[in-house]
This record gives sequence, structure tokens and C-alpha cells, in this order.
Amino acid sequence: MDQTVEKSGRLEKLEGIGCARHRREDPRFIQGKGTYVDDVKLPGMLFGVMVRSPYAHARITSIDTSKAKAHPGVHAVLTAEDLKPLKLHWMPTLAGDVQAVLADGRVSFQNQEVAFVVADDRYVAEDAAELVEVQYEELPVIVDPLHSMDAGAPVIRPDLDGKDVGAHGRRRHYNHIFNWHVGDKDKTDRAFADAPVTVKQDMFYPRVHPCPLETCGSVASFDPVRGELTVWITSQAPHVVRTVVGLLSSIPESKIRIISPDIGGGFGNKVGVYPGYVTSIVASIVLGRPVKWIESRSENLTTTAFARDYWMTGELAANEDGKIRALRVNVVADHGAFDACADPTKWPAGMFHVCTGSYDIPNAYVSVDGVYTNKFPGGVAYRCSFRVTEAVYLIERMIDVLAQKLGVDKAEIRRRNFIKAEQFPYHTPLGLEFDSGNYGPALEKVLKAVDYEALRAEQAQKRADPNCPTLMGIGICTFTEIVGAGPSKSCDILGIGMFDSCEIRVHPDSSAIARMGTMTQGQGHQTTYAQIIATEAGIPASGIMVEEGDTSTAPYGLGTYGSRSTPVGAAAVARAARKIREKARKIAAHLLEVSADDLEFDLDGFNVKGDPSKAKSMKEIAWAAYNNVPEGMEMGLEAVDYYDPPNFTFPFGAYFCVLDITKKTGETKVRRFYALDDCGTRINPMIIEGQIHGGLTEGFAVAMGQELPYDEQGNVLGATLMDYFVPTAVETPHWETDFTVTPSPHHPIGAKGVAESPHVGSIPCFSNAMIDAFSHLGVTHFNMPYNNWKVWKQAQALGL
Amino acid sequence: MKIELEKTLALPVNAATGWSLVENIEDIAACMPGAKIAERVDDTHYKGTMTVKLGPATVVFRGELQVVAADPATKFLHVLGKGADTTGGSGASLDLTARVQETGAQTCELSGRSEVNVTGKVAAFGARLMNTVTDQLLKIFFANVLAKAEALQTSAPPPVAAAKLNAFAFLWGMLKDFVCGLFGRMKAG
Repeated sequence: MDQTVEKSGRLEKLEGIGCARHRREDPRFIQGKGTYVDDVKLPGMLFGVMVRSPYAHARITSIDTSKAKAHPGVHAVLTAEDLKPLKLHWMPTLAGDVQAVLADGRVSFQNQEVAFVVADDRYVAEDAAELVEVQYEELPVIVDPLHSMDAGAPVIRPDLDGKDVGAHGRRRHYNHIFNWHVGDKDKTDRAFADAPVTVKQDMFYPRVHPCPLETCGSVASFDPVRGELTVWITSQAPHVVRTVVGLLSSIPESKIRIISPDIGGGFGNKVGVYPGYVTSIVASIVLGRPVKWIESRSENLTTTAFARDYWMTGELAANEDGKIRALRVNVVADHGAFDACADPTKWPAGMFHVCTGSYDIPNAYVSVDGVYTNKFPGGVAYRCSFRVTEAVYLIERMIDVLAQKLGVDKAEIRRRNFIKAEQFPYHTPLGLEFDSGNYGPALEKVLKAVDYEALRAEQAQKRADPNCPTLMGIGICTFTEIVGAGPSKSCDILGIGMFDSCEIRVHPDSSAIARMGTMTQGQGHQTTYAQIIATEAGIPASGIMVEEGDTSTAPYGLGTYGSRSTPVGAAAVARAARKIREKARKIAAHLLEVSADDLEFDLDGFNVKGDPSKAKSMKEIAWAAYNNVPEGMEMGLEAVDYYDPPNFTFPFGAYFCVLDITKKTGETKVRRFYALDDCGTRINPMIIEGQIHGGLTEGFAVAMGQELPYDEQGNVLGATLMDYFVPTAVETPHWETDFTVTPSPHHPIGAKGVAESPHVGSIPCFSNAMIDAFSHLGVTHFNMPYNNWKVWKQAQALGL
Repeated sequence: MKIELEKTLALPVNAATGWSLVENIEDIAACMPGAKIAERVDDTHYKGTMTVKLGPATVVFRGELQVVAADPATKFLHVLGKGADTTGGSGASLDLTARVQETGAQTCELSGRSEVNVTGKVAAFGARLMNTVTDQLLKIFFANVLAKAEALQTSAPPPVAAAKLNAFAFLWGMLKDFVCGLFGRMKAG
């Protein structure tokens, strides 16, 4: 009994995997003591502001900077002409295209960067920016991607004239970026030709923006004496930024230090490299003084990395009983004026081919065409892995459309098509290998928890009552995500494999510092990574410092996005901790004068097998590592691991939503939202729940209000938080969460990643609930966002 | 964004007098508060400014007007305008046609059609307000034209157009002034 109590005390002290350890980040954030890029203040620092184009498409006939330069307090005004000698007026994008850093004689989207004014402070810089006189000659605008490749459409990228082959193959029109296709087209077409039932649905996933609390920014400080450049930057991937800056500036990477300090939310918005970063660096090099650039909210919403903007057509072929035979998908992807999509290099549509979802579909074919329009560039994964939100949306909507056509219950059609537990690892017709899953039990658990049958009965009753003032919608979503990019054999960015890394140094007192190539932006890495090390190396989490984001200290890694921290970064952490443990085993054996094979690891130290009284704690071992190691062994207790995952991980979930819609106003209330997630091994249940709440809230935002619409002149109409919906506690519904555990067989600790599942899964769940509310009236789809106005219009159109 | 407007106004003056109100660009611009013709470049080209209060901010638009057609015989006017605010954040273009038609011995009808394209901050921030408030503003502009016509008819001193606007409550004035700028550039370019 005493031993059990003693052991549970040690376990508690460790705060390892599975413990709801409180977030170590919170004390500084709650007290306002975080250090964000805008908190960086350096002696002699100047401030830069962008002059931006009011036009979506125009030729620049002249730029007169003389008045701005003469303004008191102004140090420089940079235009493309100033950057040309440095060959920095254009920069490469992550997608293999180029993007104008400052407009080179032409603007191709509203708010495009035209000039960069550097002054004593932001106020002076803003005043002087208004003195830069730019003459524009307007050009015809294309905002509709479905007409981008029309004959005679305005040429958006004359710089690509004559280039019939882009980074992803042949371009068949001057506004075409790529065609990417996967799957067996002939087999799929045949399956459609033979199928007794087919359905087809067009759907638009609107252009949205991650809109993190902190906008993007940088502070560049070039030391002309040492030739060293330090940049504090809002980046989810600081090492990649260092490589890009090295490529652009010809400064060796060893003399570039990129620091991502505290990041106020990223959600994909902070993956790319933006013109403001480049101009602040150039200005610092030119002026020999630190230069800060921080976006305004409107700049953030209209220039740095949107998400989605996918025009999708889905088709399913099935038997009469609802068993799916084939999926066919065609997508027109609006990438804006430059292809700055943040995907692994070989995947221009990201991981969209996960679109067969949780279902055993024998045949599938997907074709995606990327096109240019006069909109701002981007195409990031907004709280999802690359294009996975779009893929999951498509299949989850389509399976509902099929159920509706067949008159089959929407839970039942999923049951009939689920990949069975015994089919894993499951090979999809689009070339992916799903690592593990157990979909049926997850759905049944949810249906039981919400009493599905009773809800359908209530819905039937309401539909039968013509005087009922409300519509009731029931949404189901049984999604499978693909995260953890990725295996370097198929995933790279700028030629660098998408591994990640961890370095652990255990100090003589057994406390430790651990550094990773990932970058936390709210995920709680400082808390959870320490828990993994605690379990794997037996060092209490409270003594482990976790540090990320400084390229001068952290090992090279590809950063945090696409839920890759746990699948890739945490795997490196676990493996580095295991290397520590194995060295510790040898030291313990030396201290106890036994063979290492005779020892067993027990929470926080080693025992001789069968004789627990002979033991050495990690505390004792760490001390010995610096003064008493076996002969031939190096001193110290350190380990580094670079982890190249063998496969992606495939978290899944079963979500359920009930909506009540007032017919006369369109007002929509979320009566219930039940989210069951399976992310494999659960590292910290409290953090998982927080992540799920956050993801569901962002999913709610996208489904119910977020969009960045354009008018036909190319004005972006969602440029402020008056127009762009960011839910507060007032609008946010109550979330119920649940889980099952199906570990990943290939991940060192069986974890899969979770932060993005609630976003990916909730959006189609809301859509399915909304359409379900109108489905008895023949509605098979209408596009998000479901603000009251749009829902009211739908109700009006049906004469409700 | 594009704002298309079509309005017709009955004037208590004969067609010739009605035309005299329209053909003179300086005069018609005076009906628009904040608008100012700064320079007559030649017979068909003008430069002007339009000052607009946008809530706490004041935006000054500067631009050019080109009279494409001003035909006294058919009493038809066609004006093109192009301008930008002096901070470079917004731009606008205008295509305006106006026609005066006789409806009686001492009455005529002024009909106008305009298409204004607005880009930049003003369009991005003000899109939701524009159509409704522009319509409201046009009523005021026409009221000023009408007042001028009535003054000509009675030979009384013409009222100060801008004074009417100043009488509005602050909030309404703000909204109205905002769109006033958009519409005003139709005159001031």
C-alpha cells in the first residue's frame, strides 16, 4: 500500500503524458507579460509603413516620393526601383511562383504593396505615406475565378508571358497556375456510367482569413560591423524564414538569426514570407538601424494570406442501398494574383486528396485547377492541414446529398460506408495510407449521447406542423483528417524535407532545457512537450524548460502548422528523451555495478530487475553524468533527434449539431454541439479540450459569418472587424466534448494531433445541420456563411 | 464598388433656363457641398476638389472632369471624371449624363444618369452604406438645384446650398457627408 502511495506521488510529481497539467504559458499571458514582436523596442529603431494600392488592377505610371522624403522624421521611402539593384523587388513564394515585394510598374490586387516609408515612428510614417503620390492607370479586373480563364480575360501576370509551364506543370491559359489531378479517371468514369444512383453538387467554400489576435510584423536589425542580421518576426516557421532570407539576401544563414517571440495566434496566417518582412530587412540593411513593421488589422485581413476560396463540384456514384462506388471532384481554386499558397512543394492542392474521407470508396478521381485573379495572394491552411478543411467539407456534404437523394438516414448512410476497423492500414484510391481508425463506435457513442432517435422524432413532428415557427436542423459529420506533414519522401518546402527536431540537455541538477524546430502559437508546447520528456526520460516536467523560435539556439525544424507539432515535433521530443533515457540506463548500470540489461525503467529512475531497493533516480544519474560515467562514455546528458515521419497521421471524429432556425428572421441558434475526437494518445486532456473549444469556435465563425467578399471592381469588402465576423463569448455556443482513443501505430507515442480537427469537422457539421433544416423542402445545398440575412433569404425563397 | 443612379427632377422653369443651370459646371458643382472647381483648364476640362468629412477624418478628393458633350440644341450633357483622395487610399471615376427636356411652357424635366466606380478604403469601409445614403444625398442635391431654379424663376437671391446640410444632426450628417464625397466627385472629379 505504502509503495503504491509512494509511486503515485512520484507519478504526480512527474506530470507526464495523460496529466491535465496547467499551462506553463498562462501566467505570463494572463498578466500581460508576453513578449510579442511589437513589444520589441531597440535603440534607434525606426518604423516602416506600406503605401498600398486602392486599385485591384492598374498600371503605375509614376511614383513621386519627393514630398514624403522631405517630410520631417522620414528616413527613407523605398519603391520597386530601389529594390531592383538588390534584386529584391520580387521574391519567391512557397508555391514556386514569384511575388512582387513592391509593385513593379503594376498592381494586381487592392492594397498591394507599392512603397515602404521609414520614419522615426509610426505616426510620422503614416503621415508621410499619404504624401507618396502614385499615378495609376486602371485596368480591367477579374474577381470571379470561374471566368479567369475565359478567352480575352484580362492578363493578370504579364511577367509570366510565354511561360507555358509553371511550377506544377503545364499552364493552359495565361491566368492558369496549375492543374493537379490524382486517381484513376477512367475507372472512376466507368463506375459512374454503371452506377444506378449518382448525385452531383456545386459548392463554394468562401475566401476567409485566419484573423489571429496579433497581426503580422517584424523588427529587422542589421549590424553593419558584424554583418549579422537579426529579425524578430511573427512566424510559425522561423527556420524556413531564415532559409528564405538567406536565399534572398545572400547573407549566409549562419549570420541570420530569426526569432519568433510569443505569437498571438497563427492559424496558418504566419507561415508565409510577406513583403513587409522583406522591406523591413532591406530598410535596416540600407539605413543601418533597426526597422519595425507591424500590420494594421485591415492590412492583415486584406493582404497577408487568406484561406479557402475553393469552387468545388462533387459527384458520388452509388448502389441503391447507398454503398458508394465512386467519387469524382473538380475544383477551381482561386489563388489570387500571386501563387503564394503554403503547401508542401509537390502538393499544389495540399492534402485535398484525403477527400474520400472516412468511407470505403473504391474509385476516385480529383482534378484541381489553380487560377489567378485580382485578389490578394495566399491559400494557407486556416487551422487545418493543407486544404483538408475543403476536402472534408466536400465529402461530408456529398454524403448528405446522397442520403437525401436515396431517402436514407444520414447516420445510416455513414454506417454503410465506413472503413471498418479491420481494414486498417487502409489504402485509399487516391494514394494515401490511413494509419488507424475506428469510425463506427465513435459515431454510435455520439448518437447515443445525444439520443439521435428522439431528435429525429422531434424534427419530424416540427416539420409536420405548418404553424411551427422554427426549422430544426440536425448535422452529422464523421471526418478523417490528415495531419503531420510529412514524410520527406513526399513532402518538402523549398527542397527541405518536412522533418522536425528536438534537442534536450539535462543539467547536473537533473533539470533540463529542450529546444524544438516547431513554434508554439497557443498550442501550449511549453506544457505538453515537457510532459512527454517527463514520461520518457523520468524528469519532472516542472524542471524542464521548453524553448522554441530562436534559430540561433533551436535545431532546424519546419515549424508549426497543419497540426504537425504532435505528429512530427513531439515524435522527435519522445525519441530524444528516449536517447537520454538509454544513456541514463548505462550510467545507472555503472553506478549500481550491474549490466544495463538488468535494469528496468521505473517512472523517474532505474531499478535492478527483481530488487527495487537497488535503484538510481534520474537526479542521481544526471549528477553522475557530469562526474562519473562509464569508461569510454562522453560526459554530459544530451540528445538530439531529427524525426522524419514514415507516414501522416489520421485523427478522426464524430460531430453532431442541432440548429433551431426562426423561419421569419433567419436567426439561427445552436441548440447542441457534441464533438467526439480521436487523436490517438492524449498528452494533456485539459489542453486538448481547450484546443477543441478554440477550433470549434473558429469553425462556428467560418460557417456562420466569416467571408472576404469582393465587389466586381476588386474592392475587398471584409476589411474590418465590423464586417469580418470574429465570435466573442456572446455568440459562441456551448460545446460538449468526448473522445475515443485509437493510437497511431507508427508514432513513437501513438499521438495524432488534435488542434485542427474541431475546425475541420465542425464546419461541415454546421453546414449539414443547416441544409438538413431545409432538406425536406428539396434544398440540397446553399453556400456558407449562414448569417441571419442569408438564412432568411433562403427561407423567403421557399415561401416560409 | 459601382453605384448606378438614375434620377428625374421636374423644374418650374422653361427648358432653356433649366439647361442654363446644368451647362455651367461651376454652377452645378456649387449645389454640391464641399465641391469646388479649382481650375478651368480649357473649355472642356476642369480640375477640382471635394472635401468630405468621414466621421472624425476629413478626406479631400482631387480630380479632373472632362466635358465630353454639352449640346445646347439637344440639351444633353456628358461628363467623365476621375479622381483620387489626396492620401492615395481611395479612387473614383464617374460617367454622368444629364438631359433637360421641355415638359411645358414654363416647366422642364432634368434627368440624370450616373455611374460611379469607387475603389480603395472608401469602398472597402463604406460599402454597406453607400446605396441607401447616396440615394438620400441625391435628394438634397436635387433640392438645391430646384431651389436654384425657383430662385431664377422668382429672381429672389439663391439660397446657400451648403447651409442646408449643416442643419443636419451630427450622425446623420456624418453618414450623408460620407456619401456626399462619393457623389460629389461626380461633380468635382
